Amino acid sequence: MWTLRPIHYLMVAPVHLLLLVFIFLPALYVGWLSLTHSTFGGPPEFVGLSNFVTLLGDRIFWRSFWNTLIVVNVVVYGELALGLGLALLMAGWVPFKRVVIAIILAPYAITEVTTVVMWRYMLEPDVGMINYALKSIGLGQIEYSTDPFTALMVVSVLAIWQHLPFTFLILYAAVTTIPSELIESAKVDGATPWQTFWHVTLRLILPAVFVALMFRYIFAMRIFSEVWLLTEGGPARMTEVLAVYLYRQAFRYHEFGGASATGWMLLLLSLVIALPYLRAMYVKLFRHV
Amino acid sequence: MSDTWRTRAIRLLLILIAVVWSGFPIFLVVMSSFKDVREIFAVPPSFVFTPTLDSYRRLGQLWPAFYPNMLNSLIITTGATVLTVVVTSMAGYVYARYSSRLLTGSAFFMIFVRMFPPIIITLPLFPAVNLLGLSDTHVLLIVLYATFFVSLGTWIMRAFIEQIPRELEEAAFVDGADLFKTLTRVILPLAAQGIVASSIFVLVFSWNEFIFALIFTTRVAKTAPLIISEMLSTADGVEWGILFAAATIQLLPVLVFVIAVQRYVVAGLQAGAVKG
Repeated sequence: MWTLRPIHYLMVAPVHLLLLVFIFLPALYVGWLSLTHSTFGGPPEFVGLSNFVTLLGDRIFWRSFWNTLIVVNVVVYGELALGLGLALLMAGWVPFKRVVIAIILAPYAITEVTTVVMWRYMLEPDVGMINYALKSIGLGQIEYSTDPFTALMVVSVLAIWQHLPFTFLILYAAVTTIPSELIESAKVDGATPWQTFWHVTLRLILPAVFVALMFRYIFAMRIFSEVWLLTEGGPARMTEVLAVYLYRQAFRYHEFGGASATGWMLLLLSLVIALPYLRAMYVKLFRHV
Repeated sequence: MSDTWRTRAIRLLLILIAVVWSGFPIFLVVMSSFKDVREIFAVPPSFVFTPTLDSYRRLGQLWPAFYPNMLNSLIITTGATVLTVVVTSMAGYVYARYSSRLLTGSAFFMIFVRMFPPIIITLPLFPAVNLLGLSDTHVLLIVLYATFFVSLGTWIMRAFIEQIPRELEEAAFVDGADLFKTLTRVILPLAAQGIVASSIFVLVFSWNEFIFALIFTTRVAKTAPLIISEMLSTADGVEWGILFAAATIQLLPVLVFVIAVQRYVVAGLQAGAVKG
């Protein structure tokens, strides 16, 4: 009964059909579109690499590229530091542990739209809670609508708030599987807490750290809603990220060719970052075949 | 562990900070939705007030589309979750029990496709969808949302089904059960936890998703996050009370759900991201 029959291929077919029809083939088609001049109505017209040339000569493209790079790195490493600290903290003695973990998980359940709502509310000039507090202790205010760098930092904080549960959970799961004898024996050998962390804990959770890093890099690069709902990329397109740039190209200026070129750059960047993980998975999968 | 009182105090303080960081903004939204409009931006901020349902009343009056849009979210989320569970249960079963070069190759393809940024597919899909008359329909969002989670879902189902002893299936086979019966009567009941684990991710995503809804819906299939975003960007000033009421209605059900199933979130992430 354990022989592979055609029915089994039929059973995996729906999943692959969905992936092919709605992700893989459209993505390939975007590759073709990126080589065309394409707008509403008219058929795409082949123009070679000119979309990419235009893109690389566009100041705003580069700005959104660097903005994305800044936000992604602040988000990913900020999350890693906070998530790791939190995982170590939660692995020890914590009162009402289940409740605390539930609260830490809560932002995962919130839509990005509401995340923007709550942070915009707290950051309203003069009257928002955070700005009111900052002002009353004489630290000035956070003005994200006029200062692009501040806006990018606010976007990063939002994204960290939203996605910390993911990073935390992956690292927490890894930390809790470390056998406590290992930690104890390091202590018996006279290791300081820092040495124990550096030589024992971190070594053992390193694979989980890399997985968390890779996934967060790839997901953070897609960042759209936080920027779109906070600044719409403004003022003067100073705070656009790649996804916002693409959206504007496609759905405001109807330049599907140029947007496709941006999309392909986003895709290639993702794949480059995912390469070590993909390689590891490939080796793991095909080891038994 | 023999913590001194001092390290305990520091731990408690750090935990308190983490709890406030994660929970306070959500608490603030829910609390403020019961405030009188004039109280919302009280300076200094007020935490003691007479609760009122005024914002909820005005939400229904000023944004009559909100509740139909909540219903759209419910339909789309349910549809996407059911579709994901059905196709990933079948696929997960096959990956748990059988192997061949072709299957392994297709498994790798699933992981590979997960790396694609969703936004790029809107470019060819947008004209195609308009052409086929699928724009602004529930079914389009159902299929799109499910598609982005079938890979993770299959992986999770595979991990859970792998732990079910093969002997149970062999016994069912001897008793004359066919594949369909074995799956629905033996495997799926035992893989119920896997079904929950893989549902969580697609459910939360579908309920909260913004960008596909923004691009592909206009009226009929508009979802709750989208109308909340419209409340946030009205030209004549944001009505915060109404916004908080809408956000509260939208967030509470899924928040309660996530907290109720939190241990499966961990199990699902483990099975989906870390294991090979």
